[in-house]
Amino acid sequence: MQQHKGFSMEQKKARWGWIFVAPTLAFFLVFSFYPIGNAIYMSFFKKNLLSLKPPEFVGWGNYKYLFSSDMFWQSVANTAIFTVGTFIPLVVLSLVLAAFIMSRTKLQKFLQMALYSPAALSSVVAALIWLLIFDPRGLANQALNFINGTSGVNYHWLSNANMLRLSTIILYFWKYIGYFTIVFIAGIGGIPDYLHEAALIDGANRWQDFWHITFPLLKPTTLLVSVMVMIQCLKTFSTQYLFTTSGAPTRPIDVITLSIYNTAIKDHNIGRASAMSVLLFLVMLVLTWLQFRISRTEEVTYM
Amino acid sequence: MNYAKGKAPIGERLADIFIWLFLILACVFVVTPLLFMVTASFMPAIDIMKLPYPWFSDHIHWQNYWNGLKGPDGSFIFVRNILNSLVVALSVTATTVLLSSMSGYGLAKFQFKGRNLVFMLIMATMMIPFETIMIPLYMVVTKMGLHDSYAGLILPFLTNAFGVFLMRQFLITFPDEVLDAARIDGASEPRIFANIVLPNSGPAIATLAILTFRSQWDNLLWPLLVVQSDEMKTIPLYITKFMAETHSDEGIMMAVATMASLPMFILFFTMSNYFISTEGLHSTVKG
Repeated sequence: MQQHKGFSMEQKKARWGWIFVAPTLAFFLVFSFYPIGNAIYMSFFKKNLLSLKPPEFVGWGNYKYLFSSDMFWQSVANTAIFTVGTFIPLVVLSLVLAAFIMSRTKLQKFLQMALYSPAALSSVVAALIWLLIFDPRGLANQALNFINGTSGVNYHWLSNANMLRLSTIILYFWKYIGYFTIVFIAGIGGIPDYLHEAALIDGANRWQDFWHITFPLLKPTTLLVSVMVMIQCLKTFSTQYLFTTSGAPTRPIDVITLSIYNTAIKDHNIGRASAMSVLLFLVMLVLTWLQFRISRTEEVTYM
Repeated sequence: MNYAKGKAPIGERLADIFIWLFLILACVFVVTPLLFMVTASFMPAIDIMKLPYPWFSDHIHWQNYWNGLKGPDGSFIFVRNILNSLVVALSVTATTVLLSSMSGYGLAKFQFKGRNLVFMLIMATMMIPFETIMIPLYMVVTKMGLHDSYAGLILPFLTNAFGVFLMRQFLITFPDEVLDAARIDGASEPRIFANIVLPNSGPAIATLAILTFRSQWDNLLWPLLVVQSDEMKTIPLYITKFMAETHSDEGIMMAVATMASLPMFILFFTMSNYFISTEGLHSTVKG
């Protein structure tokens, strides 16, 4: 190709590059960057959702209010309990399940699909099913009574504060266990065969192979899954919302997103809701940054 | 991995039994609630609340499905709400696929000033969770007079950073010779995109389409903010309202739940390869 012709083609191409990207960029400016800027801005104002009065500047007022508010700390604590309570069993058991499934020669695909199936449900449907299971006459009480050898004991899944928290954790665990098992299976599948073969030639048994080869090499995947689960858990909304709207007490499961929603929509307090959003955003920012860093380093692990 | 078969020591065989037991138990835990949903959807409410749960009823109670469609007031609003969910999920899927592949193509195959900055800006939006911007978005959409409308439901989700990333990664490996040959033949850039790039991006587009459709089908928070009228409700909203209103008939509830899950289950069982292989891919960039 001649030099000058190539040059003009480059210029033309540059223009087309912009044309292809422009609509998406415009979209993100209006629907991502403007709103987050606006949330930060509004967090310094007092504004009622319904009133036509212009927002009134209050400085750090909303943040000061939140930091001294029991309700806010309660919802921080609820979110933390939910996140920790979900994330540890979810990460540990999805790793174990992935290792177990990969050690099978039969039914691998079937087991993956069976475990994954709840993830195909919408979270609203999941909440609906489990509300009936946690009903005093539901399967949860029947199962626990069967295990404990008792009969007719009601474990108050939806009314006792701690049982209610446990219920939301069980639901979430149930819905996502298959999803993260599959993430781990992808990680295990990414470990080159020759490493296992070398271990087996050296006389390692399956357990040693897993403990000394698979597990250490899965560390980046484990870290990544942990951060992903944490991000997911911090954003949990549907389960808690649906449980509270169908009569469960709000206080034990008033997580941060539910609190933002209620502050804005029920209390009409836009400023305070924005301040909560900004705080949530900061936590997520750190976690997402961590996730990016881990997923970038992960690619070179097996070199 | 091949382990010697037949003459495994006792320890290995015990481990085998333990692993199978564990896997079976996990499957039972995961599948039981689904089985409960489907079996209960065919039972009259009195049977569902029997102790212990009967699992199978003598006769199939199809009325639950009819009554579920009809709704407590006989208005068949659920049918309208299913259509709303389809309209919203399909529109969002279409715009996401189109915009993501356009910008992914632009970022992968064109040199222009500011390209890296644009890419970084788009990736940065992954750090802004929807939950933190829903209030300003709600005020924007209300100001535009779009609350309680399809446009209002669709607009904040026209595309997403994950889609752009996915399409860009996929198109980076697209052969340049094919594109250049088309240019030399005099094809315009939009035609190259529409007739060469899009038709050859099948797997990436299918992945993106499934993930987008699923997240919209599941979306509760945004419709909860923007929808007021029963006519504009999507399935998750219908179920929410239904739950609050009729605590009475569990059979109908489960029939509604089953109907709401049907599209996702059909997608899942026909395209399970996309689901299962994409989760790994998906997980590396998005939470």
